[in-house]
Amino acid sequence: MSSIDRRNFLKTLTAAAGASVLSVPKAWSASAVKARVVVIGGGFGGATAARYLRMLDPGIEVTLIERGTRYTSCPLSNEVLSGSRDIKSLQAGYQGLARRGVQVVHNEVTQVDPVGKKVSTAEGNSFSYDALVMAPGVDFDYGAFKGLTAEISETRLPHAWKAGPQTLLLKQQLEAMPDGGRFIIVVPKGPFRCPPGPYERAAQVAMYCQHHGKKKSKILILDSNDSFSKRPLFEEAWKALYGYGQGGMIEWVAAANGGKVEQVDPGAMVCLNGFDEFKGNVINVIPPHRAGKIARDAGLANFKDAWCAVKPENMESTAHKDVYVIGDACVGGDLAGNNAFPKSAHMANSQAKIVAASLVAKINGQPAPTPIYTNTCYSVVAHDWGFSVVHLFRVENGQWVYIKEGSGISPVTFGTKEAPRPVPRIYRKMEVDYADGWLRNILSDGFS
Amino acid sequence: MRRIFLVLALACLSGAAQARTDVNILARTCNNCHGVGGVSAGASMPSIGGLQRDYLRRVMKQWKYDERSAITMSRIVKGFSDDEIDALADYFAKQPWTPVVQKTSPEAMDKGLATVSKICTDCHGKAGSDPDVDAPNLNGQWARYMELELEKYRSGEFKMPHRKMKKAIHEATPADAAAAARYFGAQSK
Ligand SMILES: Cc1cc2nc3c(=O)[nH]c(=O)nc-3n(C[C@H](O)[C@H](O)[C@H](O)COP(=O)(O)OP(=O)(O)OC[C@H]3O[C@@H](n4cnc5c(N)ncnc54)[C@H](O)[C@@H]3O)c2cc1C
Repeated sequence: MSSIDRRNFLKTLTAAAGASVLSVPKAWSASAVKARVVVIGGGFGGATAARYLRMLDPGIEVTLIERGTRYTSCPLSNEVLSGSRDIKSLQAGYQGLARRGVQVVHNEVTQVDPVGKKVSTAEGNSFSYDALVMAPGVDFDYGAFKGLTAEISETRLPHAWKAGPQTLLLKQQLEAMPDGGRFIIVVPKGPFRCPPGPYERAAQVAMYCQHHGKKKSKILILDSNDSFSKRPLFEEAWKALYGYGQGGMIEWVAAANGGKVEQVDPGAMVCLNGFDEFKGNVINVIPPHRAGKIARDAGLANFKDAWCAVKPENMESTAHKDVYVIGDACVGGDLAGNNAFPKSAHMANSQAKIVAASLVAKINGQPAPTPIYTNTCYSVVAHDWGFSVVHLFRVENGQWVYIKEGSGISPVTFGTKEAPRPVPRIYRKMEVDYADGWLRNILSDGFS
Repeated sequence: MRRIFLVLALACLSGAAQARTDVNILARTCNNCHGVGGVSAGASMPSIGGLQRDYLRRVMKQWKYDERSAITMSRIVKGFSDDEIDALADYFAKQPWTPVVQKTSPEAMDKGLATVSKICTDCHGKAGSDPDVDAPNLNGQWARYMELELEKYRSGEFKMPHRKMKKAIHEATPADAAAAARYFGAQSK
């Protein structure tokens, strides 16, 4: 705890002494502790929320329920495929949170009762809460592709969109691919977590092929969308590094040109779009996403039956009081799609801090803080070539406002519009270093 | 009587909290990359907690107004008002400076010290802990970050307004500069 945090903590305690008498709603002051907060899901969102709740006010009892005992970061997991990163460098445990006094329970949450304010686990334990933070991430909608099941993803056509065993399986498949083989990436219709992720993956696979005697191989991206995040930056890098388009190593097929896959056949190793068949040696099918099952079961997925709508000022669910949904499971911003909250680790972390601050304020009878949300998302396309996008959102008059000035992708060109020149390579190179520094910090921000 | 006192105390605290909360909330958006309290856990990202207020203010505003190049920071700070930048600078300047001591070899230390004595001490102090008003602390700063920053001074592709630093970097070879960065990174005090 830094000295500032400690000072805040003391102030908060003093304030709470008054608050418990005066301004905390009755239901919240029933127990001996100031309040009980249960957090479901210990990913970037949930872990950070638990950490900041305890850091800002150790008088709050925080229980984090997470099924896994070790978390593997998706960010930078594409680097595992190329061999530039070991999967262990992506992992974090929960000891840091336990040391902060978070009660860490490793189990599956099977039921949420938002009216009785209770959460139950597969082991049959139940936990009452004053506030619930829901951060279960996403579930995959396997049914969207005919022929795909969860089991096939785990054994034949890994999505590796949740980092871990599937990342290693996909890597093995890439290693076993012959020179001249074809690696297919099937991209679902958005929104999906990490909008630039599939295109970063294409580059990482290409880099592997280039350096491991598979220069004749092809990477085919079959996309259910007609454009993608950071597109000019990816296209420039693909062209310069790997060859892009027909005849190049990387080829991208937009939905409008037949990229929308409808069916997969793991036996024949083909993807079908209704007209054509695409045969691959490795087929990486990323299914469409929706909010984690437990959030849907709890009745929180009130946006298109898939995502959980939340209030801009504090991430509280619009479906249930005292339930807050953060991370990939929620939807916010411009719901039509443009400038909506991106589904990213950084965004989940940012939302977690807002939830923690607003809950601490509420529990202590203080005014709600004005939120600010930020995002950064790096894409590493080669050992020495990376770029990023940043986003800034504020809340004004109860609405999310996307702040254009504080947002945007890495420069595409230098110079003027009339006389553009390429961005110096040193800019691209440095972003690879910054990506790693960012990962170390964001993991430590949530898990230490 | 007691009740009235509590009401007053609470009102004062929440008033103060309102004013304070904003910079706390703002500052927490920096933690993802610079660590809690500005103590970074990632080698390419600088620790910023405990750096001089004026240095922090100046650098952020130079990025914002395109007087200095940064790759990500120049985009982010454009979304912050000058007042917010000042508040952030005040906030981080009030944090304790926490060296993150990095290991290096005795030979590298000797090499680094030679460069440091020749070029850096004037503004940063011998151990990087006694800088001039317009220079940042370097003791226990991440060596990798410093190397990258020195590359920016050397390359000519970046707008780096500090003339003295630009001149200094050309008095050292890239290897000397890297050794100096490691030397400062290894300073514990
Ligand atoms: C290839 C790839 C690259 C990416 N790169 C970036 C990047 O560069 N930058 C970036 O910011 N983001 C990136 N992301 C996105 C990032 O991984 C997600 O946005 C982030 O993980 C969302 O965090 P979360 O907490 O919402 O969900 P998660 O991290 O998925 O965590 C959810 C947790 O909840 C647990 N859980 C779910 N249901 C239950 C239950 N019923 N009981 C108990 N536990 C449960 C899960 O086990 C899991 O640990 C990338 C993603 C991918 C796939």
